[in-house]
Amino acid sequence: MKDQQQDVWVGLEDKTNDPSLIEQANQEFYELPVVDALADEKFVQEGKTNRRDFLKYLGFGIGAATIAASCEIPVKRAVPYVVKPDSIVPGVASYYASTFVNGGDFCSVLVKTREGRPIKIEGNPSCDITQGGTNARTQASVLSLYNNERFQGPLTLEGEGERKGKLSWEDLDKQVLSKLSGSSRVRIITNTVLSPTTKKIFAEFTAKYPNTKVVSYDPVSYAGMLIANEECFGQKVLPSYKFDQAEVVVTFGADFLGTWISPIEFAADWVKNRTIKDTNKPKMSRLVAVESGMSMTGSNADNRILVKPSEQGAAVVTLYNAVASRLGGGSIASKNVNAPAKAALTQLADELVKAQGKSLVVCGSNDKNVQVVVNALNNMLGNYGATIDMSKPSLQRQGDERDMQAAIRDMKGGAVDVAIVYGANPAYDLPNADEFKTAFAKVGTRISFAQTIDETTALCGFVAPDHHYLESWGDAEPKKGHINLIQPTIRPLFDTRQAGESLLVWAQSADLDRKADQPFMDYMKKSWEATVFQGQSGFATFQGFWDNCLHDGVFHTTASGEGGAAFAGDAAAAAGNISNGGSGLEVNFFETVAMGAGQYADNPWLMEMPDPVMRTVWGNYLQTPIGYDAGKNAYSAFMGMETSSKGYTENAKITVGGKDAVLPVVNQFGQMPDTVSAGLGYGRTQVTSAGQNTGINLFSMCSYNKDGLIQYHASVTVEKAGREQEFACVQYHNTMGVTDKEGTNVDEKILAPILVKNPLTKRSIIRTSNVDDLKDTIHDLEHERHHHQKLNSYTLYPGHDKEFKKGHHWAMHIDLNACIGCGACTVSCMAENNVPVVGKKEVHRHHEMTWLRIDRYYYGDVNNPSTVYQPMMCQHCDNAPCENVCPVAATNHSSEGLNQMTYNRCIGTRYCANNCPYKVRRFNWYDYTTADLWPANEYSINGEDLPFGADNLTRMVLNPDVTVRSRGVIEKCSFCVQRIQEGKLLAKREQRSLRDADVKTACQTACPTGAIVFGDQNNDEGVVAQKLKSKLNYLVLEEVNTAPSVNYTMKVNNRSDKMES
Amino acid sequence: MWFKRFSCQHLLIALFLFVGVSSYAQPNATEGKALFKAKCAQCHAPDMKSKSTGPALGPAEENWSAYPREDLYSWVRNSQKMVESGHPRAAELWGVWGPSVMNNFPNLTDDQIDGIFLYINEKYNAAPEVVETSTGTGGDVGGQTNYTFYFILIAILGLLALILARIVSNLNHMAKSQEEGTAPPKRKTLVELLLSPMVIGALIFGLVIIGGYTTVNNAIDLGRQQGYQPQQPIKFSHVTHAGEQKIDCQYCHDGARRSKHSVIPATNTCMNCHASVRVGSKHGTAELSKIYASAGWNPNTGTYFDNFEDMKPEEVEKEFRKWFDDNFKEAKGAEVKEELVKENADLQWDGVQEFVNNPIEWVRIHNLPDHVYFNHAQHVSVGKVECQTCHGPVEEMEVVQQYSPLSMGWCVNCHRQTEVKFADNPYYDSYEEYHEQMKSGDRTGVTVEEIGGLECQKCHY
Repeated sequence: MKDQQQDVWVGLEDKTNDPSLIEQANQEFYELPVVDALADEKFVQEGKTNRRDFLKYLGFGIGAATIAASCEIPVKRAVPYVVKPDSIVPGVASYYASTFVNGGDFCSVLVKTREGRPIKIEGNPSCDITQGGTNARTQASVLSLYNNERFQGPLTLEGEGERKGKLSWEDLDKQVLSKLSGSSRVRIITNTVLSPTTKKIFAEFTAKYPNTKVVSYDPVSYAGMLIANEECFGQKVLPSYKFDQAEVVVTFGADFLGTWISPIEFAADWVKNRTIKDTNKPKMSRLVAVESGMSMTGSNADNRILVKPSEQGAAVVTLYNAVASRLGGGSIASKNVNAPAKAALTQLADELVKAQGKSLVVCGSNDKNVQVVVNALNNMLGNYGATIDMSKPSLQRQGDERDMQAAIRDMKGGAVDVAIVYGANPAYDLPNADEFKTAFAKVGTRISFAQTIDETTALCGFVAPDHHYLESWGDAEPKKGHINLIQPTIRPLFDTRQAGESLLVWAQSADLDRKADQPFMDYMKKSWEATVFQGQSGFATFQGFWDNCLHDGVFHTTASGEGGAAFAGDAAAAAGNISNGGSGLEVNFFETVAMGAGQYADNPWLMEMPDPVMRTVWGNYLQTPIGYDAGKNAYSAFMGMETSSKGYTENAKITVGGKDAVLPVVNQFGQMPDTVSAGLGYGRTQVTSAGQNTGINLFSMCSYNKDGLIQYHASVTVEKAGREQEFACVQYHNTMGVTDKEGTNVDEKILAPILVKNPLTKRSIIRTSNVDDLKDTIHDLEHERHHHQKLNSYTLYPGHDKEFKKGHHWAMHIDLNACIGCGACTVSCMAENNVPVVGKKEVHRHHEMTWLRIDRYYYGDVNNPSTVYQPMMCQHCDNAPCENVCPVAATNHSSEGLNQMTYNRCIGTRYCANNCPYKVRRFNWYDYTTADLWPANEYSINGEDLPFGADNLTRMVLNPDVTVRSRGVIEKCSFCVQRIQEGKLLAKREQRSLRDADVKTACQTACPTGAIVFGDQNNDEGVVAQKLKSKLNYLVLEEVNTAPSVNYTMKVNNRSDKMES
Repeated sequence: MWFKRFSCQHLLIALFLFVGVSSYAQPNATEGKALFKAKCAQCHAPDMKSKSTGPALGPAEENWSAYPREDLYSWVRNSQKMVESGHPRAAELWGVWGPSVMNNFPNLTDDQIDGIFLYINEKYNAAPEVVETSTGTGGDVGGQTNYTFYFILIAILGLLALILARIVSNLNHMAKSQEEGTAPPKRKTLVELLLSPMVIGALIFGLVIIGGYTTVNNAIDLGRQQGYQPQQPIKFSHVTHAGEQKIDCQYCHDGARRSKHSVIPATNTCMNCHASVRVGSKHGTAELSKIYASAGWNPNTGTYFDNFEDMKPEEVEKEFRKWFDDNFKEAKGAEVKEELVKENADLQWDGVQEFVNNPIEWVRIHNLPDHVYFNHAQHVSVGKVECQTCHGPVEEMEVVQQYSPLSMGWCVNCHRQTEVKFADNPYYDSYEEYHEQMKSGDRTGVTVEEIGGLECQKCHY
């Protein structure tokens, strides 16, 4: 509480009132690029356009227009099907249930296809794990299908000249089979495999080649947990967690909302206890995060307890002892943890004891000793069987890096003849990747199933490319007894073959009918008939069962689990192996929300999705702590560096155990002093073009101890290393609230009574409350809103209220309490609305095109602030300031309350964006999509490559119902008007009133926590009309009388003051 | 009394008989008209003068006058029997019109046939009728000539007036100068007057105005294709299908009711009927075989080819040539010359071969710009707009053309004028205000405009 401040801020620049930030905020369009270009002497001298050229172009333009006018209109063809499939009606979308799987990442999905091509991923509500939610990785997966750099067929990378290159599948099979013999020592290297069918295939392959070993590891490892659970319960599995049953959740560095095990499921469950249902009797669970850097989960926590990465184990032990002393349990060898943390953990123990059986402690550590203590703690609190279910184990992480290390030793010793890499990339994501590479080179035959080039595949002799999951048959068992189907939604784009089929061919399986139309499907059906079908009783025939599973995409076995075994771990022994924390500068390496462990680095949508906390794109950054001198109210950046501003930041060189890397610095609030953090998954070297030159690979800085991977380093040096010229951090773009240079404006005198201190709060952008103060806050809010509304009654414009009373009046409701900042909506919006990817340089120049941004604000204690995420898109104001400044009426209002943007009318004056107080309008500075007729408008003119999405394959992902914008027009959120129109039409055709389910925006369907609700506020029975009644609602910038259609529910936290020292 | 009764009874019976006979047995042009429409009009042109699938019927009675009337009746009832019997007129007709076979009408009575011919002759001999559809054009042409005529007349009169005015002015001038006795000052000639800066300036100004006006008008029309009538790869006739056979538009264009696209039918939709109707009424085997070539259907056997995609081109060609030859021989008689058979087959195969194993690439007629969203289902299923409202009388178009301008002004005008099917669709219940006004009689209907049909994002997003 010591540095509690009554304001809300976006970052250090805002806190220090950096004049450049204020200037930047006042400039509607950031002029950096032009100024830079003009400052460059060379550019001016080499600039060839002069008056004569202008006249030439003018003359040419008129001439060309004349000729074009006299030319005939080109003939367009309409080519119908010869035999039209029944399921396809051109112009109408079909949805197929399938499953997104990548290693242990899992999401049950519905794939939207148009004219036979998948264009959008939606969550599958039939699945009780993901509950209809998605995350950014899932949303972006459809784009990777259309990656034009995918392998187009089998390849050999061995040999010289003509022998190197493309192969036919027959040749490949012949060559591979010639290398395989009954005694071959084979290693199949994978990440977690969720598919029971694939496991069956492994077994079949192993039966044929008995010296085969399947080596499964996960780059961000959960082996420590698996081993601990084996010790404690005899099962090497992860349990099911029930965050919806927990009133107190403690996480020791487990980012369970962003990346940990099953984030979609956990987010959906956790949020159930976080929304205020009754403002009179508010009830919320409490989340306490014990960590060093600000993770996404930490940013959503009520209390954060700062411990160094090396102190994590000690912190777990401290909490264990504190709880044990209250419950009369035996204590274990105590460890040193910093004093403030110790005090807070003691307070936390009280909370936990109060919530026995309704609490949950999770830990992201990969140290099995720490996990044993965590298990013991949960056991002591009676959480097993209540909030943790061992009887329905999760299979979402199964890898053990010790197996991988053993395989490396085998390969090094020449004890491996054939290595098959299936979905793993050890040459990139192992700390000892170099050792792996030398060992791998000693294997005689190296085969990869990769779809695109990666570091490991580049070392392989044969590439037998696998289908994309949207082209595949398959299954996934994320939890015991919960099986999901994968079905193809498009014919394979290239000459690829499913990895499972390749393995079966090489195993010369008798069950695979290679002459069949779809051999793998037949194999899988046969396998299902023998296994899954037998375990159910609902269907008499297999065909009926199969059709039902295909339709739902999900099958739950009714058979109950084995029942949780009793806890049999030895916490005292484990604690003995936990070391005390270090004292030096420490670094923590974490999995990022977008990139995973680098598997997603070739996806431009994920590259351009800002990191939830840092708000950076296209690379990894070093999060450094911020110093605060309470006496002087002064801030300082880490190690005397300059604070980042105007799109520049300092670079820092970090050195860990002889290895170094240079990363741009982000000044991160909430980062523990004497620690820094950096994200993994960037810096791929062998990767398709989107992932090239983005960040640095930090896996090499992780290390192993005898139990497995360690993702931190307790001894690191950081030094300044020059300036980063292209600091692509969207945090300071489109800032609302900071007004003019003097910090005063004319309105302020009028508005004075309602204003508080800081611009961000005094312009009502963010509202927060502690759950205990809710009554007062509601009272204040009512008072303020009343005042605003009174001000708003003095209006120049006559109200349109009557107009909106008939028909529909669209509105959105966003619950800031449910928003966890994960970014699924941002990516979903890009996919739905054909929003272009602009690249790092353009983002640096404030030219990002996302219609929906998630603003991240801090409030509270400057040393350890709380966070609010605010999804911000066009507010569809009923008094829209943008509309009355457009000289050509390209943006205007519909009778249904939509702020309409008409691209073909827009002449690009940008007055609208200037006048938008929410800063949600985006201008097409270049022809990012190559939709324009003139290639000169493309942004490659600055010497960059062709813009992303310029090729016809990538364009297949475009939504045909949404116009692709060309250069020079403004665009913005349309409330997914194409979906509104589609929903209305459906209701009209079915001759009934519109229902909520008819119209759902893309951001709404993507959200795993249901934070966004959209609908017709004139429909009294609709969800939105109900939600709009909440007393916690407010309108952003209500005082400026824009009458927005987006309502926000204020952020309520459950912060406990006792835990703050 | 009996006489009276007799006479009354018999009179009644006679009257009844007479009436009966007159209404049932006598040839009657009104009945003939109905019969013609029902039985003949599908193949014979209704103006009785032009040829259609069958010959013009106007001259038929005269052509058959050399033979007994019974022959004509037999011909109508069963023409093929007459051809087989070797009747000279029948043979003559078969030579011209074969292999198209006239339908048999065995149930028509002599009187009915006479009635039909009464109607035919009535139509044939009537003064040329102004057909409704051509009135517009005819009127326009008439208007054009009148307009030109008036224009010339005005020009001549204007010129005359100018000359007369000039003469009068000159005479006045001379008279005046004579009166005053001074030498006449030099007057401007007509040429000088016309070349004066004033006149030239005015002329240039006028030209700029007219030029600008036409430029703008033409620029607005850029990219519009009203009247666009390209040749299609298959001579598909909407007259035959939609006009004569009265096939519902949405049988083939089945997307119109449920999708944004009306959908050009897939080849397998054609096959629904053309698996049985294998010889076209207008082009025989030449056009229909294109569908078979595309779909991989063997018209000889009436089955789909096995493994069509893997068949050798020669095999396919052989089957189709057999089909052409058989039909040609059947039409022309077995003794037709081999060269003619081959020529026919070459000609037809030439047109058909590009369709083998390929989808049919129709030329798209109605093209909207990319930034326009149009949805057929909205208009057809919800708005209950007739196809013809926008597409024109397609059932009369041998080759389809773009009937409407498809301009934004055209769309908007329709949205202003068209009333929404408001009362019978519960979807519109949310417009309570309009419903109340309709109930109270303040309003008779709601136009598309009034529920937001002119707003940008109804069509542009």
